[in-house]
Amino acid sequence: MFRFFVRRVIGAAVILLIISAVTFFLFYAIPRDPARAFCGKICPPQNLILIRHNLGMDEPLFVQYWHWLVGIFTGRDLVQFGQCDAPCLGYSFATQESVFSAIIDRFPVTISVTMGAAVVFLSFGIITGMIAAWQQGRPLDKIASTTSVIGASLQIYFVGPIVVFFVVDSMGLLPRPSYIPFTEDPLGWFVHLLIPWVVLSIIFTANYTRMTRSVMVEQLAEDYVRTARAKGMSSRTVFLRFAWRGAMIPIVTIFGVDLATLFGGAIITEQTFTLHGIGELAVRAVQNTDLPMLLGVTLVGAFSIVVLNIVVDVLYAFIDPRVRLA
Amino acid sequence: MIRKVDMTFARSRATAAAVVLTVGALTLAGCAKGGGGGPTAAGGASTPAKPLENKAVGSITVGTPADSTGPATPAEGGKPGGTVNMIDRDDFSHLDPARVYLNYNATASKLFTRQLTGYRTGADGIKLVGDLATDTGTTTDGGKTWKFTLKDGLKWQDGTPITSADIKYSFERLYAPFITEGPTYIQQWLVKGDYRKAYEGPYKGKSLDAIATPDDKTIEFTLQAAHPDFNFTVAMTGYGAVPKAQDTKEKYDKKPFSSGPYQIESHVTDKSLDLVRNPNWDPKTDPIRNAYPDKWHMEFGVQSQNSTERFLADSGADKTAMTFHNAIAPERVQEVLGNAEAMKRSIQGLTPFTTFYNINTKRITNQKVREAIIKAWPSKQLQLIQGGEVNTGKIATTVMSPTVLGYESFDLYGMLTKPTGDPEAAKALLAEAGEPNPTVVYAYNQTPTQEKLTVAIKDALTKAGFKVVAKPLNPATFYDAIGPVENKFDIYWGGWAADWPTGSTAIQPLFDGRLIADNASNYSHLNVPDINSGIDAANAIPDAAEAGKAWAALDKKIMEQAAIVPEFYQTYFGLYGSGLGGVEFSAIDGEQSPTNVYIK
Amino acid sequence: MTTVTWDREPATPRGPGPFLSVRDLSVQFSTEDGIVHAVDRLSFDLEKGTTLGIVGESGSGKSVSNLSILGLHDKAHTKIGGEIWLEDQELVSASRSTLERLRGNRVAMIFQDPLTSLSPYHTVGRQISEVFRKHKGASKAESRARAIEMLDRVGIPQAKTRLEDYPHQFSGGMRQRVMIAMALVCDPDLLIADEPTTALDVTVQAQILDLLKDLQQDFGTSIILITHDLGVVAKTVHNVLVMYAGRAIEQGTVQQVLREPHHPYTWGLLASMPKLNSNVDLPLLPVRGTPPSLLNPPSGCPFHPRCDYRDLVGPDLCSTERPELSPADGHRDACYLTLAQKREIFNGKIKERL
Repeated sequence: MFRFFVRRVIGAAVILLIISAVTFFLFYAIPRDPARAFCGKICPPQNLILIRHNLGMDEPLFVQYWHWLVGIFTGRDLVQFGQCDAPCLGYSFATQESVFSAIIDRFPVTISVTMGAAVVFLSFGIITGMIAAWQQGRPLDKIASTTSVIGASLQIYFVGPIVVFFVVDSMGLLPRPSYIPFTEDPLGWFVHLLIPWVVLSIIFTANYTRMTRSVMVEQLAEDYVRTARAKGMSSRTVFLRFAWRGAMIPIVTIFGVDLATLFGGAIITEQTFTLHGIGELAVRAVQNTDLPMLLGVTLVGAFSIVVLNIVVDVLYAFIDPRVRLA
Repeated sequence: MIRKVDMTFARSRATAAAVVLTVGALTLAGCAKGGGGGPTAAGGASTPAKPLENKAVGSITVGTPADSTGPATPAEGGKPGGTVNMIDRDDFSHLDPARVYLNYNATASKLFTRQLTGYRTGADGIKLVGDLATDTGTTTDGGKTWKFTLKDGLKWQDGTPITSADIKYSFERLYAPFITEGPTYIQQWLVKGDYRKAYEGPYKGKSLDAIATPDDKTIEFTLQAAHPDFNFTVAMTGYGAVPKAQDTKEKYDKKPFSSGPYQIESHVTDKSLDLVRNPNWDPKTDPIRNAYPDKWHMEFGVQSQNSTERFLADSGADKTAMTFHNAIAPERVQEVLGNAEAMKRSIQGLTPFTTFYNINTKRITNQKVREAIIKAWPSKQLQLIQGGEVNTGKIATTVMSPTVLGYESFDLYGMLTKPTGDPEAAKALLAEAGEPNPTVVYAYNQTPTQEKLTVAIKDALTKAGFKVVAKPLNPATFYDAIGPVENKFDIYWGGWAADWPTGSTAIQPLFDGRLIADNASNYSHLNVPDINSGIDAANAIPDAAEAGKAWAALDKKIMEQAAIVPEFYQTYFGLYGSGLGGVEFSAIDGEQSPTNVYIK
Repeated sequence: MTTVTWDREPATPRGPGPFLSVRDLSVQFSTEDGIVHAVDRLSFDLEKGTTLGIVGESGSGKSVSNLSILGLHDKAHTKIGGEIWLEDQELVSASRSTLERLRGNRVAMIFQDPLTSLSPYHTVGRQISEVFRKHKGASKAESRARAIEMLDRVGIPQAKTRLEDYPHQFSGGMRQRVMIAMALVCDPDLLIADEPTTALDVTVQAQILDLLKDLQQDFGTSIILITHDLGVVAKTVHNVLVMYAGRAIEQGTVQQVLREPHHPYTWGLLASMPKLNSNVDLPLLPVRGTPPSLLNPPSGCPFHPRCDYRDLVGPDLCSTERPELSPADGHRDACYLTLAQKREIFNGKIKERL
């Protein structure tokens, strides 16, 4: 277990290093001078030179990258912004806010939306998939299979505004989606995020219904499931304890992939519901060719996905004793 | 949109032309009287059929010491109390006055930052008055040395007095390396040569000899050359007061110390800013701000579609809400015009912002060819594509905006008589120039609206005989592409607003040939000795009205050179909640002003 | 392959009366291609404490007929006819809960591949003890003790610690011992072993078969041993049922069927087995042709397309009329050849090859 973590952490660090370096060096391929963003409307040339110096942009690229990298661990004293405590990801070229605190501010929004949605669509998808598998070939199965095909073909930027229009504008059942910190008002948090969760779930549930159904059907045909039945285990036990256990592995695998999709999709989700999360930050960073923000967001995205992968691997080990973390 | 008058913020400027611009006024009667706005001015606006004319604001004057005495002119029906909500698209990018250049930031800064001088609006127009100073400063040598005296009873938010040493310090810190975003005029005027090398700022104990403080109340500036409008310059937020004892250097930008009527209670970046009263602000010292509300709650991230929706709905807390900058969303303008109730709480006015197309005089050296471009220009089509006059601005024919002191209306190329372009006249000019089919490279932001504009421009110029090469540019790097002096483009869009309402910042940065440099603001690269010396002469005229006339004459001279195709004098058209009174338009900042707002 | 050895006589059957009686069992699957006649009017009896070997090629219906005893067939696509009596309980028409109470308790099964047949997600201790808890209502501690006892009984060393292990931590033979322990934990009356040794090494095969025999003697369990391996049959069973195309084609004691087989298919089965002591110059004689499609079984005797002797019977009889098992008792077979012809052919042509 320990060796597993050491190896994964080293692996993750290497991945993050590569991703940040690639982002960093790609950025400089864009013919744009970020120093201009820090200069007044009438910008004397000596000020541009000064700003480039303040930002450390008058140094060779790899030195700049090194400073940025070291800054994460030791903090930096940036002339343009003052002391930037570790973990220092620098300051936005466009809005001049601290990248780290911008990300910390917005992370709970993205996490709330994606994880909340994940809870909803996982439970619904798995439950409907199980019902479909249990009812194989009967009407309930057919209803679940059909609706899941419809769901999978929908897009959030299409469904989102429609749901908001009916539920919020026409019927006034729920407030307009926004983010209220869970720690301030758990109920408000829940109520304001319900629409994004449900809309995301409409799209993702389908996948899990179909998949759960098919892996359950597959598992039910496994030898060990037949053995369980031959032992006199009740159908329910066979279904929930034996077949489900095996079905969890493909579900966890797909869930890992979907979480990455969800994080990537946060850009669209947050645009659709005007939520101020990491996705919005990413869009703005790209629009503004805002290097520090871009690096920060990329790093956080990559970091989240790396962590998720480790979580998925640990889950595998919990589900299947044949998998060993080493 | 035109929130950022700042030339350096590439995104906003680059999108300024792409996105439909701020909304046009239907009558400028209100602004002509200096700011206008409010229910009365809006009432006058309900006659949209009235033809527009380019009319000068005309009444910017320098006030007397009596005008500089507080309190501010009371707003009709104004009373203290309550919380006013402000909803807008963006958070303020800077709060440290030294780093403020944008009009939007300056509007907010009015609530907690004071300068030596400022603008008082009243029935008799806009007046430059003393804000912290007892008057607008005195000079005995035509503007080379300036003396200001601080009022009695001025205090910081902690109750300590505002002294001349604080003011001197506020100017000294402008030389610190981290202060790069604000205006740089006075820094350059106070020292010889490169101001960055001449003085390093006060943080290592050195002081600036050019500013003297003979006593606690008196500040004397000694400039390297005469600047008769120096007293306008110090009205910029960028020259606002910062107390030495509270200066947190780079971090001051997050939480400035108040000299104005409010102080910052909390600020959540990109979300909200809350202001409460500064108990140590004395209205008797302040001729500019009424500061009726007890509190301000500002909310950011509200797009104009959203704010228009909320103002029209006018419910709950939005009844007592205004916006500084958000204009009515273009697609709702017609609806608002037809809504008599909403029109009563609308604000219209002419902003200091002008837009134009630079003609690169380094590449198109033949003046006749440049004249032909202006002649052929399809101004009316461009206006229509961008949503018509209501959504854009009035077709411009000069360099200076009508909001500039001394503005004179003229139309050298008949842009108003033939607003769709005059290909025949252009052809004649080209024939005269001996270049019947010159090739011009038009560079533009690659956005859907700009693509449409480009087609119209191409059509019109082609009709006149030009060969047009349209060169799409990435909006994110537009200014990086057109910045180099040796760029390969002939025509490209630009926008400008004077830093203070005299000709010097309306004209000099754009057309002084001695300032040509990579990324400098003289994008047309015009370098005419006659104009350069005319600028110096106008800058030296002590009397503001006389100087105004000189600038207007220069305006005409520049237009004769055909260095730009003027596009619009931008107008503003916005809404506010029914529960507010005293909401006015600031012709200086081109947006809604917070100084006289009260809760009904 | 296990060789057929003749020197060892299975123990004499004990116990009274038929314990399990299968009558006219038919099993039909509906598939996309049509109806599969997997089992066709199969009848057999099993005495208490004896072992019945069911032999046949794959697809001959031997596994299916036994899965249907426990109702483990796919009910949605299967049609079952006939009767199965376990003492006085009819199983074909029994309710799901009745069958659930029976499975693992009175009737247990072990399968071919112990790796896939044990749950990879649960410890062997849990897999064994849960059967005991379910059927005997035992406490956790009791069932655990029982599981240890059973693991010990089937010859797994350090049963107590191995209880916490997962199937993948055992070797193939040990896994099958675990399966057997699991099957026998409730002391069943009937054990159905479906190819229990096929997936194992030859040396391990013998150990497992010995274990089954020992356990049978100790517990008095009746066993149905399904196999395609006549060597296993010879070593282990009392009675043999040879199946072909879903039908019983020969039935008798192990000596009868292996020493004097009557049916040409049985001859083929025996002749196709390699033996250590046989003459290497004589080629093996596999049954020619391919097993029949059960979607569309041949008319008459299902074996006739592959039979070398059908001309001895007469022109069309084998291909038109289905032969029934005869005589009514004892060594029975379903072939139109006369007993004399069968003896003559076997003694003359077949025996020397065995």
